[in-house]
Amino acid sequence: MIEVRDVTKTYGKGDNLFTALYKVSAIIPTGTAAAIIGKSGSGKSTLIHVMSGLDHPSDGEILIDGKSLQDMKAKQIDTFRANEMSFIFQAFFVEANQTCYQNVMLPLEIAKVGRRDRRKKVEEALRAVDLIDKIDTLATNLSGGQKQRLAIARAIVNKPKLIFADEPTGNLDSATGELIIKLLFDLNKKLGCTLVIVTHDEELADRCKMKIYMKDGEIKQITPAPKQVKGAKK
Amino acid sequence: MILRDLIRRSGRSIKSAKGRTLLTALAIAVGTFALTLTLAASNGATQYVNKIISENFDPAELIVSKDEAIFGRGDNSKPREYDPSFTTILSNGGANTQLKRVTDDDIAKIKKVSGVDRIREDITVSLQYVTREGQKKYVGNVAAYNPFQKIEVKAGEATRRPEGKQIYLPEGYLEVLGFKSAEEAIGKTITLAISKPITGDTAKQIAATGASQDPNQIAKLSEQNITSEEFTVFSVLKKPTTSQPGTELYMYVSQDEARRLNDIATQGTVNYRKYNFVYVRVAGGEEAKKLMAVQDELKKQSFSAQSVKDTQEFLTSIIGVLQGIVAGFGAIAVIASVFGIINTMYISVLQRTREIGLMKALGMRKRDIGRLFRFEAAWIGFLGGIIGSTVAVLVGSGLNPWITDKLDLGAGNKLLIFRPTEIVALIIILMVVSIFAGWLPSSKAAKLDPIEALRTE
Ligand SMILES: Nc1ncnc2c1ncn2[C@@H]1O[C@H](COP(=O)(O)OP(=O)(O)OP(=O)(O)O)[C@@H](O)[C@H]1O
Ligand SMILES: [Mg+2]
Repeated sequence: MIEVRDVTKTYGKGDNLFTALYKVSAIIPTGTAAAIIGKSGSGKSTLIHVMSGLDHPSDGEILIDGKSLQDMKAKQIDTFRANEMSFIFQAFFVEANQTCYQNVMLPLEIAKVGRRDRRKKVEEALRAVDLIDKIDTLATNLSGGQKQRLAIARAIVNKPKLIFADEPTGNLDSATGELIIKLLFDLNKKLGCTLVIVTHDEELADRCKMKIYMKDGEIKQITPAPKQVKGAKK
Repeated sequence: MILRDLIRRSGRSIKSAKGRTLLTALAIAVGTFALTLTLAASNGATQYVNKIISENFDPAELIVSKDEAIFGRGDNSKPREYDPSFTTILSNGGANTQLKRVTDDDIAKIKKVSGVDRIREDITVSLQYVTREGQKKYVGNVAAYNPFQKIEVKAGEATRRPEGKQIYLPEGYLEVLGFKSAEEAIGKTITLAISKPITGDTAKQIAATGASQDPNQIAKLSEQNITSEEFTVFSVLKKPTTSQPGTELYMYVSQDEARRLNDIATQGTVNYRKYNFVYVRVAGGEEAKKLMAVQDELKKQSFSAQSVKDTQEFLTSIIGVLQGIVAGFGAIAVIASVFGIINTMYISVLQRTREIGLMKALGMRKRDIGRLFRFEAAWIGFLGGIIGSTVAVLVGSGLNPWITDKLDLGAGNKLLIFRPTEIVALIIILMVVSIFAGWLPSSKAAKLDPIEALRTE
């Protein structure tokens, strides 16, 4: 469960002060597929960065399964990020001059997964995204959709409990995008992991159990309404 | 991340920037090249000195004299008080130097020092001539055989020392004494002629004939004074590769024979039973402590005592200074290349900012990111070290025969001796230096903010 409590995020100082998030609160229960929807510049990316501990809120706190990220040491946050969550970026961020195998291996190395299990896990992840035949191909030689599939394989290889996806289909044609979305929802169902997808695509959002609407750094609406969720705080 | 993975990943990023890496590594290679050759030359020179010493001296022996001047030391600014035992030697520069010498009394004193095992006098007898039946006469020197001198024989035995009337003959004498081969000489007799000093009787005789003004007459008379000694050739010596210069044509007899011949040559003169120095063997003197104890005691009794090690240290310290200068230049080259590494590593961090952001987003520790880049720097140092030392070994091995020939080191001696352990140590040091050079760039990488890093294009 991810709990966001009165989180404010500001950039800059003095006259240049810009509030990207203002007193944002939300609760995403474990295993839920949640969509964050809003216009460009509304603070969607900032919100998931703060949720994942990649960025620090200026005020407020984030609780993951009841533990506050702000109370954790840098080392603990790294360990949490290496073992329990993963990130899919809009711009893929695959290493172009490394093979698919090496790209997918990276999270396993970071999480210090034993050498014996590695190959099996990498193959499993690549099979899931239908890239097993490209295992030794350099990432630079993949198409856009294949690159994003590779990024997903990298995100799921270590079986995370939490997946953040920042506009995973933004750079793809609709057919490929559809494939990627199907993949993500399959994972959500099969592994029971929490899925947080940033999008401005209403159609995609409709397929999520939970929708968080953002505007100018504030949450405008959450469906279903927060009071229906147990343990929520007003 | 575990070490192995970090090293592999850093190696991979080195590979993806071959040109840049190679150029930086070449700068280090230049310094490594100089340092490797310096180390090799230092090894070779030290080994050469050690070889000369170990093949000519016993480490358990002290060289003892009554006079510092024999080791080229002593005060030359004031004249010294006359001593009847003085003899005159020529210093290296050709100047006459008066030496106080070791007498039988001194030897008796040295013998009493506890720990002294044996004493050998340093004896070289200048012969009137050496010859063989039906052959011409030649000049020559006979010395006492030093059991620690390494000899190579052309014919005959080498394992046994000369005894009684046996003599070691250098191969240079074979042809002039009419031997067709070394084997032929073994067991043959040669004649050593020693002139006795002109004693009172002979002097009177010279005076009586009124020949004291005629040098030819004196020479003739002193020829009558010659004693002939017959020796049997026991073995024929090859020209030595490591010997004290000037001793190549020495003939060797046993210590006792040498002493007897020396007595004949000096009887009735001030030189009788006086030696420039003696070799004092210390019981268990291979152990530095025991050797030092005797050395100190002898010094207390105003002898001058030098161990083989002192001589060795003196020679190697001269080599050391020269090597230090060359090594200094190599080190400067390495230090200069450090800036190259820093620069290259900054470029690498800049180029891979996004990758760093990604790795951090995936939960890679700050410490590991820093290490990743420090290992990358270490790889550059490693490459530079390998390239520099390999080229040095190849060039050095190629030049060795030529250097040996030019410096007249003698067959089998090399100036450049490469030791794998030293080269490995040098490369490790270079890697450590590189890691330090990569410190600033790597800590910059470690400190990058992941969000900022991912935002860069
Ligand atoms: N480092 C920063 N310094 C200053 N302002 C920033 C910084 N990062 C983000 N912002 C601002 O915060 C606001 C929210 O940015 P954010 O990236 O979260 O938007 P977004 O909703 O993800 O938009 P998009 O749909 O275009 O990705 C934007 O107005 C942006 O300009
Ligand atoms: Mg965004």
